[in-house]
Amino acid sequence: MRRLWLDLGDLGVFVNPSGPHEKWQDHGLGLLRTILRQNGVETDLASLRSLRSWRELDPLLAGYDMLLMNIRSYTFPFAYKAARQFKKVNPKGLVITGGMHATVAPDEMEQIEAFDRICQGPGENTIVGLAKDPLAFPRVIQGSGAKSMAEWPLMDRTLWPNPKRPDFPWPLEPECGWGPNPVATVITSRVCPWQCVFCNESSYIATMGRKPVDQVIDELNYLDDHYGPLGSVVIHDSMFFQQPAWLKEWLEKYPRKAHKIWPYWAAGRADTVRQWPDLFEALIRETRWDHLSLGFESGSDRVLKILNKECTAEDNYFAIDLANRIGDDMERQGKPAPKFWANLMLGIPGETHEDAFATIRMLKRMKRVLPSISFYAPYPGSALGYQLIAEGKSLMRKDNYHRFPSDEKLKGIDYRFYSQLLAGKFDREINRGLTDSAQAGSYEEALFKA
Amino acid sequence: MSSFNTPHHLYLFAMQNGKKKLAYGPSPAEAYENLKLRLTPAEMKSVIKDQYQQITQRELHQHARELG
Repeated sequence: MRRLWLDLGDLGVFVNPSGPHEKWQDHGLGLLRTILRQNGVETDLASLRSLRSWRELDPLLAGYDMLLMNIRSYTFPFAYKAARQFKKVNPKGLVITGGMHATVAPDEMEQIEAFDRICQGPGENTIVGLAKDPLAFPRVIQGSGAKSMAEWPLMDRTLWPNPKRPDFPWPLEPECGWGPNPVATVITSRVCPWQCVFCNESSYIATMGRKPVDQVIDELNYLDDHYGPLGSVVIHDSMFFQQPAWLKEWLEKYPRKAHKIWPYWAAGRADTVRQWPDLFEALIRETRWDHLSLGFESGSDRVLKILNKECTAEDNYFAIDLANRIGDDMERQGKPAPKFWANLMLGIPGETHEDAFATIRMLKRMKRVLPSISFYAPYPGSALGYQLIAEGKSLMRKDNYHRFPSDEKLKGIDYRFYSQLLAGKFDREINRGLTDSAQAGSYEEALFKA
Repeated sequence: MSSFNTPHHLYLFAMQNGKKKLAYGPSPAEAYENLKLRLTPAEMKSVIKDQYQQITQRELHQHARELG
Protein backbone atom coordinates (compact mmCIF):
# COMPACT_ATOMS: atom_id res chain seq x y z
CA MET A 1 0.00 0.00 0.00
CA ARG A 2 1.36 3.43 -0.94
CA ARG A 3 0.64 6.07 1.68
CA LEU A 4 1.11 9.82 1.44
CA TRP A 5 1.09 12.17 4.42
CA LEU A 6 0.12 15.69 3.40
CA ASP A 7 1.42 18.56 5.53
CA LEU A 8 -1.20 21.33 5.60
CA GLY A 9 -0.72 25.09 5.61
CA ASP A 10 -0.66 28.17 3.43
CA LEU A 11 0.48 27.51 -0.10
CA GLY A 12 3.87 28.98 -0.84
CA VAL A 13 5.04 29.46 2.74
CA PHE A 14 8.09 27.27 2.11
CA VAL A 15 8.68 28.83 -1.31
CA ASN A 16 8.18 32.56 -1.00
CA PRO A 17 9.23 34.98 1.74
CA SER A 18 6.62 34.68 4.48
CA GLY A 19 5.96 35.27 8.13
CA PRO A 20 7.99 33.11 10.51
CA HIS A 21 4.97 31.78 12.37
CA GLU A 22 3.58 30.17 9.19
CA LYS A 23 6.71 28.04 9.00
CA TRP A 24 6.45 26.16 12.28
CA GLN A 25 6.71 22.45 11.77
CA ASP A 26 3.85 20.18 12.82
CA HIS A 27 4.76 18.18 15.93
CA GLY A 28 1.69 15.94 15.50
CA LEU A 29 2.83 14.99 12.02
CA GLY A 30 6.38 14.42 13.23
CA LEU A 31 5.38 12.26 16.18
CA LEU A 32 2.87 10.12 14.27
CA ARG A 33 5.18 9.55 11.30
CA THR A 34 7.92 8.57 13.77
CA ILE A 35 5.58 6.02 15.39
CA LEU A 36 4.57 4.69 11.98
CA ARG A 37 8.17 4.27 10.87
CA GLN A 38 9.14 2.53 14.11
CA ASN A 39 6.34 0.07 13.43
CA GLY A 40 7.38 -0.60 9.84
CA VAL A 41 4.68 1.53 8.19
CA GLU A 42 6.27 3.86 5.66
CA THR A 43 4.63 7.07 4.48
CA ASP A 44 5.78 9.49 1.82
CA LEU A 45 5.43 13.17 2.49
CA ALA A 46 4.26 16.21 0.58
CA SER A 47 3.60 19.69 1.88
CA LEU A 48 1.02 22.18 0.65
CA ARG A 49 3.41 24.81 1.96
CA SER A 50 5.92 23.84 -0.73
CA LEU A 51 3.42 24.42 -3.55
CA ARG A 52 2.68 27.64 -5.38
CA SER A 53 -0.75 26.60 -6.60
CA TRP A 54 -3.30 23.81 -6.15
CA ARG A 55 -2.57 22.67 -9.72
CA GLU A 56 0.78 21.41 -8.50
CA LEU A 57 -0.89 19.01 -6.06
CA ASP A 58 -2.49 16.48 -8.49
CA PRO A 59 0.77 15.00 -9.79
CA LEU A 60 1.99 14.56 -6.21
CA LEU A 61 -1.16 12.63 -5.27
CA ALA A 62 -1.16 10.28 -8.24
CA GLY A 63 -0.65 6.59 -7.54
CA TYR A 64 -1.27 6.62 -3.80
CA ASP A 65 -3.70 4.29 -2.02
CA MET A 66 -3.97 6.42 1.10
CA LEU A 67 -3.82 10.08 2.07
CA LEU A 68 -3.23 10.99 5.73
CA MET A 69 -3.77 14.46 7.19
CA ASN A 70 -3.54 16.07 10.65
CA ILE A 71 -6.26 18.73 10.53
CA ARG A 72 -6.56 21.82 12.70
CA SER A 73 -9.52 24.19 12.40
CA TYR A 74 -7.49 26.73 10.46
CA THR A 75 -6.29 24.05 8.00
CA PHE A 76 -9.71 22.42 7.58
CA PRO A 77 -10.50 24.24 4.29
CA PHE A 78 -7.18 23.06 2.86
CA ALA A 79 -7.82 19.50 4.02
CA TYR A 80 -11.16 19.04 2.34
CA LYS A 81 -9.94 20.60 -0.88
CA ALA A 82 -6.92 18.27 -0.86
CA ALA A 83 -9.14 15.27 -0.06
CA ARG A 84 -11.39 16.03 -3.02
CA GLN A 85 -8.40 16.34 -5.34
CA PHE A 86 -7.02 13.06 -3.99
CA LYS A 87 -10.30 11.25 -4.73
CA LYS A 88 -10.38 12.68 -8.23
CA VAL A 89 -6.86 11.45 -8.94
CA ASN A 90 -7.22 8.15 -7.01
CA PRO A 91 -10.94 7.21 -7.01
CA LYS A 92 -10.27 4.05 -5.01
CA GLY A 93 -7.89 5.71 -2.56
CA LEU A 94 -8.73 6.25 1.10
CA VAL A 95 -8.44 9.51 3.01
CA ILE A 96 -7.55 9.14 6.69
CA THR A 97 -8.00 12.22 8.84
CA GLY A 98 -7.45 13.19 12.45
CA GLY A 99 -6.31 16.11 14.53
CA MET A 100 -7.90 18.85 16.55
CA HIS A 101 -10.69 19.74 14.14
CA ALA A 102 -11.85 16.13 14.10
CA THR A 103 -12.17 16.38 17.85
CA VAL A 104 -13.84 19.76 18.19
CA ALA A 105 -16.03 19.80 15.07
CA PRO A 106 -16.86 16.19 14.15
CA ASP A 107 -20.11 17.26 12.42
CA GLU A 108 -18.21 19.38 9.94
CA MET A 109 -15.72 16.58 9.34
CA GLU A 110 -18.43 13.98 8.78
CA GLN A 111 -20.07 16.19 6.17
CA ILE A 112 -17.01 15.81 3.95
CA GLU A 113 -17.66 12.63 1.99
CA ALA A 114 -14.07 12.43 0.87
CA PHE A 115 -12.95 11.81 4.47
CA ASP A 116 -13.13 8.01 4.71
CA ARG A 117 -11.92 7.71 8.29
CA ILE A 118 -12.02 10.39 10.97
CA CYS A 119 -9.97 9.83 14.12
CA GLN A 120 -11.01 11.95 17.08
CA GLY A 121 -8.73 12.63 20.02
CA PRO A 122 -5.11 11.56 20.31
CA GLY A 123 -3.78 9.13 17.74
CA GLU A 124 -0.52 7.77 19.11
CA ASN A 125 -1.92 4.34 19.91
CA THR A 126 -4.31 4.19 16.95
CA ILE A 127 -2.34 5.39 13.95
CA VAL A 128 -0.45 2.17 13.19
CA GLY A 129 -3.55 -0.05 13.05
CA LEU A 130 -5.46 2.59 11.15
CA ALA A 131 -2.76 3.06 8.52
CA LYS A 132 -2.32 -0.69 8.08
CA ASP A 133 -5.97 -1.69 7.86
CA PRO A 134 -8.32 1.29 7.72
CA LEU A 135 -11.30 -0.78 6.61
CA ALA A 136 -11.23 -2.60 9.95
CA PHE A 137 -12.33 0.65 11.62
CA PRO A 138 -15.66 2.48 11.57
CA ARG A 139 -15.77 5.85 9.80
CA VAL A 140 -15.48 7.83 13.04
CA ILE A 141 -12.94 6.47 15.48
CA GLN A 142 -12.15 7.49 19.03
CA GLY A 143 -8.35 7.49 19.07
CA SER A 144 -6.28 6.58 22.05
CA GLY A 145 -3.18 8.31 23.29
CA ALA A 146 -0.31 7.79 25.65
CA LYS A 147 -0.85 8.22 29.39
CA SER A 148 2.32 10.25 29.64
CA MET A 149 4.55 12.11 27.23
CA ALA A 150 7.35 9.98 28.66
CA GLU A 151 5.99 7.18 26.45
CA TRP A 152 6.49 9.22 23.27
CA PRO A 153 9.46 8.21 21.16
CA LEU A 154 12.12 10.76 20.32
CA MET A 155 10.57 12.48 17.33
CA ASP A 156 12.52 12.02 14.10
CA ARG A 157 12.58 15.57 12.78
CA THR A 158 13.87 14.45 9.40
CA LEU A 159 10.31 13.19 8.87
CA TRP A 160 9.17 16.82 8.75
CA PRO A 161 8.89 18.51 5.35
CA ASN A 162 12.14 19.99 4.14
CA PRO A 163 11.60 23.44 2.61
CA LYS A 164 15.09 23.24 1.06
CA ARG A 165 15.66 26.94 1.51
CA PRO A 166 18.97 28.48 2.53
CA ASP A 167 17.24 30.37 5.34
CA PHE A 168 15.55 27.27 6.76
CA PRO A 169 17.88 25.20 8.98
CA TRP A 170 15.92 21.94 8.54
CA PRO A 171 15.33 19.77 10.47
CA LEU A 172 15.62 22.61 12.96
CA GLU A 173 13.50 25.70 12.42
CA PRO A 174 14.20 29.33 11.56
CA GLU A 175 14.27 32.05 14.18
CA CYS A 176 11.25 34.34 14.40
CA GLY A 177 12.54 37.17 16.54
CA TRP A 178 12.46 35.24 19.80
CA GLY A 179 16.06 34.07 19.89
CA PRO A 180 19.06 33.19 17.73
CA ASN A 181 19.00 30.77 14.81
CA PRO A 182 18.59 27.84 14.52
CA VAL A 183 15.61 27.10 16.72
CA ALA A 184 14.57 23.82 18.32
CA THR A 185 10.86 23.65 19.10
CA VAL A 186 9.88 21.25 21.86
CA ILE A 187 6.77 20.33 23.80
CA THR A 188 7.18 19.56 27.51
CA SER A 189 3.51 19.45 28.52
CA ARG A 190 0.15 18.95 26.91
CA VAL A 191 -3.04 20.56 28.04
CA CYS A 192 -3.56 23.80 29.85
CA PRO A 193 -5.99 22.87 32.64
CA TRP A 194 -7.58 26.31 32.96
CA GLN A 195 -10.97 27.08 31.45
CA CYS A 196 -10.56 30.22 29.35
CA VAL A 197 -13.61 30.11 27.11
CA PHE A 198 -11.80 31.11 23.91
CA CYS A 199 -9.81 27.87 24.14
CA ASN A 200 -10.96 25.15 26.61
CA GLU A 201 -8.32 22.78 25.33
CA SER A 202 -8.57 20.52 28.35
CA SER A 203 -12.16 19.77 27.33
CA TYR A 204 -10.91 17.81 24.35
CA ILE A 205 -7.41 16.66 25.28
CA ALA A 206 -7.19 14.17 28.12
CA THR A 207 -4.79 14.93 30.93
CA MET A 208 -1.38 13.56 30.13
CA GLY A 209 1.78 13.23 32.20
CA ARG A 210 4.41 15.86 31.46
CA LYS A 211 7.59 14.92 29.63
CA PRO A 212 10.31 14.27 32.21
CA VAL A 213 12.82 17.08 32.56
CA ASP A 214 15.73 14.75 31.74
CA GLN A 215 13.99 13.66 28.54
CA VAL A 216 13.52 17.27 27.41
CA ILE A 217 17.17 18.12 28.08
CA ASP A 218 18.38 14.92 26.40
CA GLU A 219 16.34 15.80 23.31
CA LEU A 220 17.83 19.31 23.15
CA ASN A 221 21.36 17.94 23.59
CA TYR A 222 20.68 15.35 20.85
CA LEU A 223 19.48 18.08 18.48
CA ASP A 224 22.51 20.20 19.32
CA ASP A 225 24.84 17.26 18.63
CA HIS A 226 23.20 16.15 15.40
CA TYR A 227 21.90 19.33 13.77
CA GLY A 228 23.32 22.20 15.84
CA PRO A 229 24.80 24.17 17.26
CA LEU A 230 21.39 25.27 18.53
CA GLY A 231 20.74 28.98 18.87
CA SER A 232 17.56 29.04 20.92
CA VAL A 233 14.55 27.03 21.98
CA VAL A 234 10.81 27.51 21.65
CA ILE A 235 8.79 25.56 24.20
CA HIS A 236 5.48 25.21 22.38
CA ASP A 237 3.47 24.22 25.47
CA SER A 238 0.12 25.97 25.82
CA MET A 239 1.10 26.46 29.44
CA PHE A 240 4.76 26.01 30.42
CA PHE A 241 4.60 27.82 33.78
CA GLN A 242 2.57 25.25 35.70
CA GLN A 243 3.39 22.32 37.99
CA PRO A 244 5.99 23.90 40.33
CA ALA A 245 7.70 20.58 41.11
CA TRP A 246 8.51 20.08 37.41
CA LEU A 247 9.60 23.71 37.05
CA LYS A 248 11.91 23.44 40.06
CA GLU A 249 13.53 20.34 38.56
CA TRP A 250 13.93 22.24 35.26
CA LEU A 251 15.50 25.12 37.16
CA GLU A 252 17.96 22.79 38.82
CA LYS A 253 18.88 20.59 35.85
CA TYR A 254 18.64 22.70 32.68
CA PRO A 255 21.57 25.02 33.51
CA ARG A 256 23.66 22.06 34.65
CA LYS A 257 22.88 19.33 32.12
CA ALA A 258 22.11 21.13 28.86
CA HIS A 259 25.12 21.67 26.58
CA LYS A 260 24.36 25.37 26.85
CA ILE A 261 21.70 27.48 28.53
CA TRP A 262 19.88 28.22 25.30
CA PRO A 263 17.47 31.14 25.70
CA TYR A 264 13.88 30.11 25.29
CA TRP A 265 10.33 31.27 24.67
CA ALA A 266 7.60 29.77 26.84
CA ALA A 267 4.09 30.56 28.03
CA GLY A 268 2.49 31.36 31.36
CA ARG A 269 -0.44 33.11 33.00
CA ALA A 270 -0.42 36.20 35.18
CA ASP A 271 -2.05 34.48 38.13
CA THR A 272 0.55 31.72 38.14
CA VAL A 273 3.25 34.37 38.12
CA ARG A 274 1.56 35.97 41.12
CA GLN A 275 1.23 32.59 42.82
CA TRP A 276 4.88 31.59 42.32
CA PRO A 277 6.81 34.88 41.82
CA ASP A 278 10.13 33.57 43.17
CA LEU A 279 10.06 30.61 40.81
CA PHE A 280 9.18 32.91 37.91
CA GLU A 281 12.11 35.19 38.73
CA ALA A 282 14.54 32.32 39.18
CA LEU A 283 13.57 30.79 35.82
CA ILE A 284 14.16 34.11 34.07
CA ARG A 285 17.48 34.76 35.77
CA GLU A 286 18.95 31.24 35.80
CA THR A 287 17.48 29.42 32.79
CA ARG A 288 17.21 32.29 30.28
CA TRP A 289 13.45 32.31 29.94
CA ASP A 290 14.05 35.34 27.73
CA HIS A 291 10.67 35.56 26.01
CA LEU A 292 7.73 35.51 28.39
CA SER A 293 4.60 34.59 26.48
CA LEU A 294 1.95 35.64 28.96
CA GLY A 295 -1.73 35.38 28.15
CA PHE A 296 -2.85 38.72 29.48
CA GLU A 297 -5.70 38.96 26.96
CA SER A 298 -7.19 42.17 28.39
CA GLY A 299 -6.56 45.02 30.78
CA SER A 300 -10.22 45.09 31.78
CA ASP A 301 -11.75 43.00 34.56
CA ARG A 302 -15.09 43.04 32.70
CA VAL A 303 -13.52 41.44 29.66
CA LEU A 304 -11.44 39.01 31.68
CA LYS A 305 -14.75 37.79 33.15
CA ILE A 306 -16.29 37.45 29.68
CA LEU A 307 -13.30 35.31 28.73
CA ASN A 308 -13.44 33.35 32.00
CA LYS A 309 -9.74 34.05 32.34
CA GLU A 310 -9.84 33.56 36.12
CA CYS A 311 -7.28 36.36 36.34
CA THR A 312 -7.75 40.01 37.18
CA ALA A 313 -6.21 43.11 35.68
CA GLU A 314 -4.38 43.41 39.01
CA ASP A 315 -2.82 39.98 38.42
CA ASN A 316 -1.72 41.17 34.97
CA TYR A 317 -0.14 44.32 36.39
CA PHE A 318 1.62 42.30 39.09
CA ALA A 319 3.29 40.14 36.41
CA ILE A 320 4.14 43.15 34.25
CA ASP A 321 5.72 45.11 37.08
CA LEU A 322 7.68 42.10 38.30
CA ALA A 323 9.11 41.35 34.86
CA ASN A 324 9.87 45.04 34.27
CA ARG A 325 11.77 45.14 37.57
CA ILE A 326 13.70 41.95 36.82
CA GLY A 327 14.53 43.30 33.35
CA ASP A 328 15.80 46.60 34.71
CA ASP A 329 18.03 44.78 37.16
CA MET A 330 19.40 42.39 34.54
CA GLU A 331 20.13 45.27 32.19
CA ARG A 332 22.05 47.01 34.95
CA GLN A 333 24.11 43.83 35.26
CA GLY A 334 24.77 43.84 31.51
CA LYS A 335 22.59 40.79 30.91
CA PRO A 336 19.84 40.44 28.30
CA ALA A 337 16.53 41.46 29.84
CA PRO A 338 13.43 39.32 29.37
CA LYS A 339 10.82 40.49 26.89
CA PHE A 340 7.11 39.97 26.92
CA TRP A 341 5.42 38.20 24.07
CA ALA A 342 2.18 39.83 25.15
CA ASN A 343 -0.91 37.92 24.06
CA LEU A 344 -3.78 40.37 23.87
CA MET A 345 -7.25 40.07 22.45
CA LEU A 346 -9.56 42.71 21.05
CA GLY A 347 -12.99 42.59 19.44
CA ILE A 348 -14.45 40.52 22.26
CA PRO A 349 -18.24 40.45 22.47
CA GLY A 350 -19.30 42.80 25.24
CA GLU A 351 -16.04 44.77 25.19
CA THR A 352 -16.54 48.54 25.43
CA HIS A 353 -14.24 51.19 24.02
CA GLU A 354 -13.02 51.90 27.56
CA ASP A 355 -12.20 48.19 28.02
CA ALA A 356 -10.13 48.26 24.84
CA PHE A 357 -8.36 51.43 25.97
CA ALA A 358 -7.50 49.64 29.23
CA THR A 359 -5.89 46.83 27.25
CA ILE A 360 -3.71 49.17 25.22
CA ARG A 361 -2.89 51.14 28.38
CA MET A 362 -1.75 47.88 29.97
CA LEU A 363 0.37 47.07 26.93
CA LYS A 364 2.10 50.42 27.27
CA ARG A 365 3.10 49.56 30.85
CA MET A 366 5.35 46.77 29.52
CA LYS A 367 8.89 48.07 29.10
CA ARG A 368 10.21 45.40 26.77
CA VAL A 369 7.47 43.92 24.66
CA LEU A 370 6.63 42.16 21.44
CA PRO A 371 2.86 42.65 21.23
CA SER A 372 0.79 39.79 19.85
CA ILE A 373 -2.70 41.15 19.35
CA SER A 374 -5.58 39.18 17.87
CA PHE A 375 -9.20 39.79 17.17
CA TYR A 376 -11.25 37.30 19.15
CA ALA A 377 -12.20 34.31 16.96
CA PRO A 378 -15.18 32.08 17.92
CA TYR A 379 -13.76 28.66 17.16
CA PRO A 380 -15.94 25.58 17.61
CA GLY A 381 -14.66 23.50 20.50
CA SER A 382 -14.35 26.46 22.85
CA ALA A 383 -17.19 27.32 25.23
CA LEU A 384 -17.65 30.88 24.02
CA GLY A 385 -17.18 29.79 20.41
CA TYR A 386 -19.92 27.18 20.69
CA GLN A 387 -22.21 29.70 22.40
CA LEU A 388 -21.68 32.48 19.84
CA ILE A 389 -22.14 30.04 16.95
CA ALA A 390 -25.42 28.93 18.55
CA GLU A 391 -26.48 32.56 18.87
CA GLY A 392 -25.82 33.09 15.15
CA LYS A 393 -23.17 35.72 15.85
CA SER A 394 -20.13 34.05 14.32
CA LEU A 395 -18.89 35.22 10.93
CA MET A 396 -16.46 32.31 10.71
CA ARG A 397 -17.45 29.52 8.34
CA LYS A 398 -15.86 26.22 7.57
CA ASP A 399 -14.46 27.65 4.34
CA ASN A 400 -12.86 30.62 6.08
CA TYR A 401 -11.46 29.29 9.37
CA HIS A 402 -8.20 30.02 7.71
CA ARG A 403 -8.33 33.75 7.73
CA PHE A 404 -6.29 36.90 7.78
CA PRO A 405 -5.59 38.66 11.08
CA SER A 406 -7.78 41.63 10.22
CA ASP A 407 -10.78 39.56 9.05
CA GLU A 408 -14.06 40.21 10.81
CA LYS A 409 -15.00 37.27 13.00
CA LEU A 410 -18.18 38.33 14.82
CA LYS A 411 -21.38 40.19 14.10
CA GLY A 412 -21.88 43.33 16.15
CA ILE A 413 -18.21 44.18 16.57
CA ASP A 414 -17.05 47.58 15.36
CA TYR A 415 -13.85 46.49 13.64
CA ARG A 416 -13.30 49.99 12.25
CA PHE A 417 -12.93 51.26 15.82
CA TYR A 418 -10.28 48.60 16.50
CA SER A 419 -8.32 49.48 13.36
CA GLN A 420 -8.30 53.10 14.47
CA LEU A 421 -7.33 52.06 17.99
CA LEU A 422 -4.32 50.11 16.73
CA ALA A 423 -3.34 53.02 14.50
CA GLY A 424 -3.14 55.25 17.57
CA LYS A 425 -6.22 57.39 16.94
CA PHE A 426 -7.33 57.22 20.57
CA ASP A 427 -3.92 57.67 22.16
CA ARG A 428 -4.98 60.84 23.97
CA GLU A 429 -7.61 58.92 25.94
CA ILE A 430 -5.33 55.94 26.44
CA ASN A 431 -2.31 57.93 27.55
CA ARG A 432 -4.18 59.74 30.29
CA GLY A 433 -2.31 58.92 33.49
CA LEU A 434 0.62 57.21 31.78
CA THR A 435 4.20 58.41 32.15
CA ASP A 436 5.70 60.21 29.13
CA SER A 437 7.98 57.28 28.31
CA ALA A 438 5.03 54.88 28.19
CA GLN A 439 2.90 56.96 25.84
CA ALA A 440 4.41 56.13 22.45
CA GLY A 441 3.33 53.20 20.37
CA SER A 442 1.27 52.21 17.37
CA TYR A 443 0.27 48.58 17.11
CA GLU A 444 -1.00 48.15 13.55
CA GLU A 445 1.80 45.69 12.81
CA ALA A 446 1.10 43.68 15.96
CA LEU A 447 -2.12 42.07 14.72
CA PHE A 448 -1.76 38.29 14.49
CA LYS A 449 -4.00 35.40 13.56
CA ALA A 450 -6.02 34.22 16.56
CA MET B 1 -5.03 35.39 42.23
CA SER B 2 -8.39 34.37 40.95
CA SER B 3 -7.97 30.81 39.72
CA PHE B 4 -6.21 29.80 42.93
CA ASN B 5 -8.69 31.20 45.42
CA THR B 6 -11.96 31.52 43.48
CA PRO B 7 -12.13 28.77 40.87
CA HIS B 8 -14.82 29.12 38.24
CA HIS B 9 -17.38 26.58 37.03
CA LEU B 10 -19.45 26.17 33.88
CA TYR B 11 -23.24 26.36 34.07
CA LEU B 12 -26.00 25.72 31.56
CA PHE B 13 -28.97 27.98 32.18
CA ALA B 14 -32.35 26.98 30.81
CA MET B 15 -33.89 29.34 28.23
CA GLN B 16 -37.51 30.15 27.48
CA ASN B 17 -37.16 28.57 24.01
CA GLY B 18 -35.97 25.23 25.38
CA LYS B 19 -32.34 25.87 24.52
CA LYS B 20 -29.54 26.44 27.01
CA LYS B 21 -27.18 29.32 27.64
CA LEU B 22 -23.63 28.58 28.72
CA ALA B 23 -22.30 30.81 31.47
CA TYR B 24 -19.35 30.67 33.85
CA GLY B 25 -18.18 32.10 37.12
CA PRO B 26 -17.42 31.22 40.74
CA SER B 27 -21.14 30.63 41.47
CA PRO B 28 -24.37 30.31 39.47
CA ALA B 29 -25.41 33.81 40.54
CA GLU B 30 -22.13 35.35 39.38
CA ALA B 31 -22.22 33.32 36.17
CA TYR B 32 -25.68 34.76 35.46
CA GLU B 33 -24.39 38.28 36.17
CA ASN B 34 -21.41 37.69 33.89
CA LEU B 35 -23.77 36.90 31.01
CA LYS B 36 -25.03 40.46 31.26
CA LEU B 37 -21.56 41.71 30.32
CA ARG B 38 -22.09 40.63 26.72
CA LEU B 39 -25.84 40.04 26.23
CA THR B 40 -28.46 42.73 25.74
CA PRO B 41 -31.34 43.06 28.24
CA ALA B 42 -33.63 41.56 25.59
CA GLU B 43 -31.35 38.55 25.22
CA MET B 44 -31.13 38.16 28.99
CA LYS B 45 -34.91 37.97 29.27
CA SER B 46 -34.88 34.51 27.69
CA VAL B 47 -32.42 33.14 30.28
CA ILE B 48 -34.07 31.53 33.32
CA LYS B 49 -31.99 32.57 36.29
CA ASP B 50 -32.90 29.82 38.72
CA GLN B 51 -32.80 26.85 36.34
CA TYR B 52 -29.25 25.78 35.77
CA GLN B 53 -27.04 22.74 35.67
CA GLN B 54 -23.34 22.69 36.49
CA ILE B 55 -21.16 20.85 33.98
CA THR B 56 -17.48 20.05 33.81
CA GLN B 57 -15.22 21.27 31.06
CA ARG B 58 -14.84 17.69 29.79
CA GLU B 59 -18.61 17.51 29.22
CA LEU B 60 -18.70 20.68 27.15
CA HIS B 61 -18.92 19.03 23.71
CA GLN B 62 -21.87 16.83 24.51
CA HIS B 63 -23.92 19.95 25.27
CA ALA B 64 -22.89 22.02 22.23
CA ARG B 65 -26.06 21.19 20.29
CA GLU B 66 -28.31 22.29 23.18
CA LEU B 67 -27.03 25.86 23.13
CA GLY B 68 -29.01 28.79 21.89
